Amino acid sequence: MSNSLTLAPAPRSEAAEQVRAEVREFLAAELAAGTFQTHVDTWLSGVDPAFSKKLGERGWLGMTWPKEYGGHERSAMERYAVTEELLAAGAPVAAHWIADRQSGPNLLTYGTEKQRREILPRIVAGECFFVIGMSEPDSGSDLASIRTRATRNGDGDWVVNGAKVWTSNAHHSHYGIVLVRTSPADPSSRHAGMSQLLVDLSLPGISINPIRILDGGHHFNEVVFEDVVVPGDMLLGEEGNGWHQVTAELAFERSGPERFLSTYPLIAEFGRRVAETGDAAQLAALGRLSARLLALRQMSLRIAAALDRGELPNIPAALVKDVGTTFEADVVEEVRKVVDVTPSLASPDPLARALAEAQLHQPGFTLRGGTNEILRGIVARGLGLR
Amino acid sequence: MSDQDLVVETVKDILGRFEPFVLTAERRWDAGLWSALADAGLTGVGLPEEAGGSGGELADAVAIVRTLAAGAGAVPVAEQLLVAGPALLAADLELPSPEQPTTFAVAAGVTVHPVDNGDGPGRFTLSGTVADVPWAGAARHVVLLAPAPAGMGGAVLALVDASSLPADDAANLAGEPRAALVLDQVAAAGALLTEAQAGEIRARYALARSVQLAAALEQVLAWTVQYAGERHQFGRPLGKFQAIQMELAEMAGEVTAVTALTDAAVQSLDRGENVVLAAAAAKVRAGAAVEVVARLAHQVHGAIGFTQEHKLHHLTRRLWSWRDEAGSELAWSTVLAAGLLAGGPDQLWPALTRAV
Repeated sequence: MSNSLTLAPAPRSEAAEQVRAEVREFLAAELAAGTFQTHVDTWLSGVDPAFSKKLGERGWLGMTWPKEYGGHERSAMERYAVTEELLAAGAPVAAHWIADRQSGPNLLTYGTEKQRREILPRIVAGECFFVIGMSEPDSGSDLASIRTRATRNGDGDWVVNGAKVWTSNAHHSHYGIVLVRTSPADPSSRHAGMSQLLVDLSLPGISINPIRILDGGHHFNEVVFEDVVVPGDMLLGEEGNGWHQVTAELAFERSGPERFLSTYPLIAEFGRRVAETGDAAQLAALGRLSARLLALRQMSLRIAAALDRGELPNIPAALVKDVGTTFEADVVEEVRKVVDVTPSLASPDPLARALAEAQLHQPGFTLRGGTNEILRGIVARGLGLR
Repeated sequence: MSDQDLVVETVKDILGRFEPFVLTAERRWDAGLWSALADAGLTGVGLPEEAGGSGGELADAVAIVRTLAAGAGAVPVAEQLLVAGPALLAADLELPSPEQPTTFAVAAGVTVHPVDNGDGPGRFTLSGTVADVPWAGAARHVVLLAPAPAGMGGAVLALVDASSLPADDAANLAGEPRAALVLDQVAAAGALLTEAQAGEIRARYALARSVQLAAALEQVLAWTVQYAGERHQFGRPLGKFQAIQMELAEMAGEVTAVTALTDAAVQSLDRGENVVLAAAAAKVRAGAAVEVVARLAHQVHGAIGFTQEHKLHHLTRRLWSWRDEAGSELAWSTVLAAGLLAGGPDQLWPALTRAV
């Protein structure tokens, strides 16, 4: 098997188990106080800035970042434990999710000193939220075909025109990291001429229009840029290096527990049902789902450990996301085959509600962050086939 | 080079001299391969020297089992090194010489009577039929896990001399002997175990098969990737077709999942933890991967892979067999779910984070 797919097993982390226990205690208290209700897929749909702020106060955002930017210099294994507990509880983590997961690390790698000092401590405090500006109406999987462009004006500022889509929670966010063309497309070098801009979403010329998903929820947006003037010093990283920078983000974007726990709250409800009925077919189904979940945890933990070693394992990350999102989608089918329940968003039965939420979110799992077809292409490259 | 790399190289060198063959009633196992492994001291690895073993770590024994599984070695090494040997040692029973094969079976239908009620390892007589005994007819000894005598509770682990027991020709889908042994008042040394101890031995058995499954799955993926690079159709290698790439990537995902979970379960065993849930999960996950990996491997290999002329069947037939041995996928998924829910309906998540 190709080495580029294989990672060393994750070591045990006592520190991670310690912080896991703290998060569990916090979540139990919050649930008891009724500050949130468990839902499926809350890292997309659970926006609650007050909850994000509480996490920031407890030191659970920007956990791995340097202290000089407000971070806590903890390990990726500890961060893994925190994010996993939050997702399993179906807690409202969407507001800060992108900033904490990938925008912050992106700024740490490519940001200027000024950008880091201004923005990172606010992310750590749970007060500054980000969106990803990659896809466009005509550019989905073929990201290199984007047309949003930025040109320098006489003052050295960037003038941005174009539109980005699927920007989750742009209407609640402060900044976007927007991939733009800063040179015309070059057919001989498709990945050249792109750059990332750090864009304050309150700038004049930006309009944010809702795109509703299947359950009517407003999470996605179309963000339109019309002659938006972005200060010249808000270039992120190097001009023309945008493709490389976007690719580097993906190890963070694709390997975490949110790639297999989006429907865990449904499994939890199913588990309660199985405990009640003791039904043999349900027990076996729960066992099969649990075995898949336990394997995914080990795959994702290996990536957290690799991040702690300073690696950026993009290909194993693509593998986690392919296997993981397939799993979270399959949960719906596995459960519905063995329970006599009609999914309903308004049902008093929490299992019927969780099934309905999971069903209506299901198509997104294997699309967002790179479709599974794109991911399998990356894996095929890792196998030496292309 | 780690210690395990050295062990793996040694086993590979030996395997190179013994090509896998189609197992039949006339030639049920690879006695020559066994002798070569025994001569090199490899059939006692992971078992302490003071007990007659060759010493070494669990990781060494696992590396040997993995290498032999990937090479379709028809020998009872997984049973001896990972199940029968450690179970005997844990029960304070004497280890037979590792140079002669010792296998393991769960003997649910056997009746056990105590001969000696004294302290320490006792003597028992066993009667009844044991089904699905791996390598029956080849193994000199069989370690049986049987229900305890009536009124005693728990289980009995017994070491039975199988050399004079008749074995039928039953075999698994790969032709590996899985015969029934008929015991008629057979005397054996044995030890009483609690139900929890018996459960851990069954888990070891499942984990041993999971280790074999993981190694064979990895090898099948490697063969399939290689074949897709070599076989040309429409003027290009199969692996250049996107449809084939999608299938190989799906296989890689399954294989990676099985390896990650099985490795973690082995590490958990090495730390001396209770591995019932970890082994259950590893076995279930590996069994699920077999469906995808074997199906797609055959699909990519085309008709030649469907013949005994090509090597693929040596592993795919074993995959289809092993996934339902040492406890079926259904049995272990039920054990896993029941174990995860044992702490109560709201404790599923904490149980999952502790399971492996």
